[in-house]
Amino acid sequence: MTKKLTRRDFLKIATGATVASGLAPVARRIALEPFVQPPEEALPGQATWFASTCRQCPAGCGIVVRTINGRAKKLEGNPLHPLNRGKLCARGQSGLQVLYNPDRLKNAVRQSGGRGSRQFEPLYWPQALDLLEEKITTLASPERLAFLGGLMPDHLYQIASRLLESLGASPPVIFDLHSALEGRAAASRLSELFFGEPQLPVYDLARADVVLSFGANLFETWMSPVAQNVAFGDMRSSASGRGLFVQFEPRLSTTAASADEWVPVRPGAEGLVALAIGRIIIEERLGHVGSHRDHAVMYQDVDVREMSAASQVPVETLRRLAVAFANADHAVSIPGGYLAGQRNGLASMLAVQALNLVVAQVGRVGGVFLSDPGPTASLQNKPAVHNFEEVLGLIERMQAGEVDLLFVYGANPVFELPAASGFAEAITRVPYVISFSPFVDETAVRSDLILPDHVYLESWGYQVPSPGADRPVVSSQQPVVRPLYDTRSTADVLLGLAARLEGPSQALPWADEAAYLEETVSELNGSSLGAYNARTPSGFWALWRQYGGWWSEKEIRREPELTDIRSKPLPVSEPRFDGDPQSYPFILYPYPSVALSDGRGANQPWLQETPDPMSTVQWGAWVEVNPETAQALGLNDNDVVRVESQHGVLEAPVVVYPGIRPDVVAIPVGQGHLDYGRFAQAASGSNPLALLAPLTDADTGGLAWGATRVRLAPAGRKQVLARLESLDGEGRESLD
Amino acid sequence: MEKDANRSTETHPRWVMVVDLDRCTGCQACVVACHAENNLQIVEEQESAYGRWAHWIIVQRYWEGEYPNVKARFMPVMCQQCGEAPCEPVCPVFATYHNQEGLNAQIYNRCIGTRFCASACPYKVRVYNWFDPVFPEPLSEQLNPDVTVRTRGIIEKCTFCIQRILRTEIEAKTEGRKPVDGEIQPACVQTCPPGALVFGDLNDPDSQASQLARSHRSFRLLPELGTDPGVIYLKGGETNV
Repeated sequence: MTKKLTRRDFLKIATGATVASGLAPVARRIALEPFVQPPEEALPGQATWFASTCRQCPAGCGIVVRTINGRAKKLEGNPLHPLNRGKLCARGQSGLQVLYNPDRLKNAVRQSGGRGSRQFEPLYWPQALDLLEEKITTLASPERLAFLGGLMPDHLYQIASRLLESLGASPPVIFDLHSALEGRAAASRLSELFFGEPQLPVYDLARADVVLSFGANLFETWMSPVAQNVAFGDMRSSASGRGLFVQFEPRLSTTAASADEWVPVRPGAEGLVALAIGRIIIEERLGHVGSHRDHAVMYQDVDVREMSAASQVPVETLRRLAVAFANADHAVSIPGGYLAGQRNGLASMLAVQALNLVVAQVGRVGGVFLSDPGPTASLQNKPAVHNFEEVLGLIERMQAGEVDLLFVYGANPVFELPAASGFAEAITRVPYVISFSPFVDETAVRSDLILPDHVYLESWGYQVPSPGADRPVVSSQQPVVRPLYDTRSTADVLLGLAARLEGPSQALPWADEAAYLEETVSELNGSSLGAYNARTPSGFWALWRQYGGWWSEKEIRREPELTDIRSKPLPVSEPRFDGDPQSYPFILYPYPSVALSDGRGANQPWLQETPDPMSTVQWGAWVEVNPETAQALGLNDNDVVRVESQHGVLEAPVVVYPGIRPDVVAIPVGQGHLDYGRFAQAASGSNPLALLAPLTDADTGGLAWGATRVRLAPAGRKQVLARLESLDGEGRESLD
Repeated sequence: MEKDANRSTETHPRWVMVVDLDRCTGCQACVVACHAENNLQIVEEQESAYGRWAHWIIVQRYWEGEYPNVKARFMPVMCQQCGEAPCEPVCPVFATYHNQEGLNAQIYNRCIGTRFCASACPYKVRVYNWFDPVFPEPLSEQLNPDVTVRTRGIIEKCTFCIQRILRTEIEAKTEGRKPVDGEIQPACVQTCPPGALVFGDLNDPDSQASQLARSHRSFRLLPELGTDPGVIYLKGGETNV
C-alpha cells in the first residue's frame, strides 16, 4: 500500500529533519582505520562472482567463480555462455585444486644440481629475464630455438609466435596428448577435405533423431564434452521422441553406456562399417533424398559383405541401422577420436563424414554444421594443433643436436608422448631447456630453468572455442584472485623479453598482456551481432570481463560449402597394427580418463577420488579384459597382469570388463606420474604410453595411438583396486 | 499426490530431487561438484580400497547381459532424504533428525560416532570420518565457509546442500517473497551437464520436480521398505530399431 505524500506531511518531515540535525552533536566524521586493510571490493562473508574461462581442457567453457574475501571458493558454469550454458564437467569443477595445489612452484627456479636433480634454487625474475636474454642472444642461429606448446590460450600463442617470427625462429609446435586422443589434428584435416577449411564442425546432437557415433566419447573428453552432454539431455527429452543413439567402438565406453545400442566393431574397422551403411543406403535408395546418383561414385569400390566380414558386424545389423539412419528427419554421424588413433584414421573419418552427405544432413538442423566465426575470425588466427609427425620432426632435430634452446609451455611431452618416440633421450641433447609449467612435472624436471606461469584462475587470456557453439563466441579469461605466489604470466615474460631485444620490441610493443588483450578485443566492439556493445573501448573492456567473453545474441549457423569430395571413390582402408598377431594377440586401447584426461588432472585429489564411471576405480589404473579372455588366461579381478608390447612393458591389476571385445585390452591414460606433485605420485598405476608404438596415420601424420598390439601374462600377485563397486557382494566396509 | 497432514503443510516445502536416468551419462560432474561444495575430506587410495571413501553422491553402474549383448546403466545415488527415515530413530543422541522441510538433517556436534544410522540406512549413503581431514596448505583455502569441516568420528551424508537452500530462502525473504521454482540448486543439480537432476518442492504441484514426480516413468528406491524417499528416479528408456 502506498501512501500519497501530502503537503502537510512534507512540512512535518522537513521540520523534524531540521530539528534532528540541529540537535545532533557537532562531530567530525572520521573513518575507522583497521590494522588490516581488506580489499575494497571485499565485504566480509559476501560472495563476489567473477566470470572467466576454464582451461582444464581445450574446450573453452565459460565459468563463474564464487570468491569470498579474495579467495576463490567454488567454480560453476557461466549461465550466459552459449557453449556450456551454466554447466561444468568433473574436471571443470576441480579447478580450485589447480589454484590451491600444495605442490605449485612459488617462484622461478633453476635446478642447482643439474637437470633431474630436483634441487631447486630460487631465482629473481629480473635475473631470470637476464638469463633468458643471454640464452637467446648467444644462439648461433635463431633456427636453433624451438618452442613446444600444448594447451595454450589463444593470445599467448599469438604473442609467442610473433616473438619467434621476429627472432627468425620457426613457429611453436603445438601438441598435447589430450588433443591427440580426441584426434583434433585429424578432424581439422577432415574438415579441409570436406568443407575446404580447417574449422571443426559442430554435430547437432540436441536436435538429431538418429546419432551414429563412431568412436567419439562425446560425454567424456572428446572436443566439447559439456556442450555435448547438454545437447544429449535435450535430445533425450525432445518433443519428437528420445532419439536413437548408436555407438560403434571396440570397448563399451561411458558414452556407449548412454547409447541405445553398442556395436563392438573390430578395432580400426569403424570406417568400413560406415562405408557399408552408405553403400546400403545408395543401393537400396533408402531415405527421402530424391536421388542417390550424385553419391554413387563414392561407394563404387565398396562391397557390403566384405565390409561386414572385415568389421565383424553382421549385414543385418548394418541394414537395420542404415534404414533407421536414412529414414530419420534429422540424423548425424560423428567421426570420433578413436578413429583418428588408427593408421587408417583419415580414411575411416572420411567414410563417417560421408554418411552425413549421403542423407543430406550437412548444414541442416540436427545434422552437421560449421559455427559462424563472425567478427571473432580476427581473433582466431591460431592453427589447430600440430600432428605427431611434426613432433617427431622436432625430436629428430633435438637428437641431431640442431636445437640449443627449448621452451616448453602447457605440455608435458616426457609423460604424454609414447616412450618409444625418444623424447626423453632427445631432451638430454638440448643444451638448455626452459619450462613454463606451474608444477614440477616430468618435463620440468628435465629442464634447467622453470619460469612458472600463473595458473588459469590467476591469468588473463581469451579463447575462441573450437569446435564452436551455434553462434560466434569468444571466452574471456581474467584473474579471479590475486596471484598466490611470485609466479609470472608467460605472456608477460615473453613481452618483457621482447622489450629487451631490438627486432621483437617492434613486433611486440605492448607493455603487458592486459594491454595487448584490451587492444585486441576492442575489435569486437560495435559489431551488430553482439549481446552487448559499449560507447568506449574501456567500457567494452569492462563488459567483456564482466560477462566472461563476447557472443552473438542470435543463433547463427553456417552451411559448409562442400568440396568435390563426392566425385571420387572413398578410400577403403584396412587397419594395420604394430606387432605380429601370433606373439601379440591383443590390441591395446589406451583411452583418456574422464577425470584425469591425459594425466594433467592427476595432481588434483578431487579428480583422483572421482570414480571411473565404468570400473568404479578411484586413484589407480587398471587393465580391462573381456571375461572370456580373463578366464582363458586364468585372470580374475585385482590379479596383476604383465602387459607387453614390442616397445615396453607395464604391470597393472585386472578389471574383468563385460563390455570389451575379447581381442582388445583397454588401459586408462593419466596415471603413472613420477613427478607432478604428491597426489599424482601417490596414486598407483602405470602410464600406457610406455607401450605405444610411435606410429602415425600416413594421411594426417596423427599419432596412431590405438595401433599397438600387446600380450598378457599373469604376474602372479594381487593388488586391490579402490573400487566403489563391491566384488564380494558384502557392500562397503568388507576388509579382506 | 496425497498429502500427509502430519508432516507437510501448505506453508512448508518438501524438498525433493528428481533423477532422470534417461539423461544421466555417468560423467561424474555431480561427484566433484559435491566434494567442492561440501568440504569433503580427501580419502587416499588405500583407505578408499577399504571402502572408506567419502562421496556423498555416487554414480552406481550396473551391467546387464553378457558380451556382446551387454548394457551398462548408471544410477546416481545420494541420501534419499526419507520421509520415514530408518536412520533417525536409531540415533541415541538425536544427531540426525527430521526438519520441517522434509530433510534428514544432521547435527555434527551432537554426533558421537556410533554409526547406528549407517547400519540402519538401507541405501548405504552415510559416510564416516575415520580420520581427521587433512588439507595440505594452501588447499584449505578451497573450503566453503558456509559448511563445517567435520572431524574424526563423525557421520555425514548428503544434505541436499542445505546451506544453499537456506541462503536462497534468506535472500528471498529479505525481498519479501518465496524462492521461485528452480532458484534453489544443490551443487550437483547446478552442474549436471545433461540436466538429469532436478530439485524442487514436492508440495508445490506446479514445480518442475513435482510434475516430473508424477511421470509414468517415476519410481523410488526400495519402495517396499516404506521409507518414503525424497529422491525420485525416472526410469531410463530404450529406443529399438
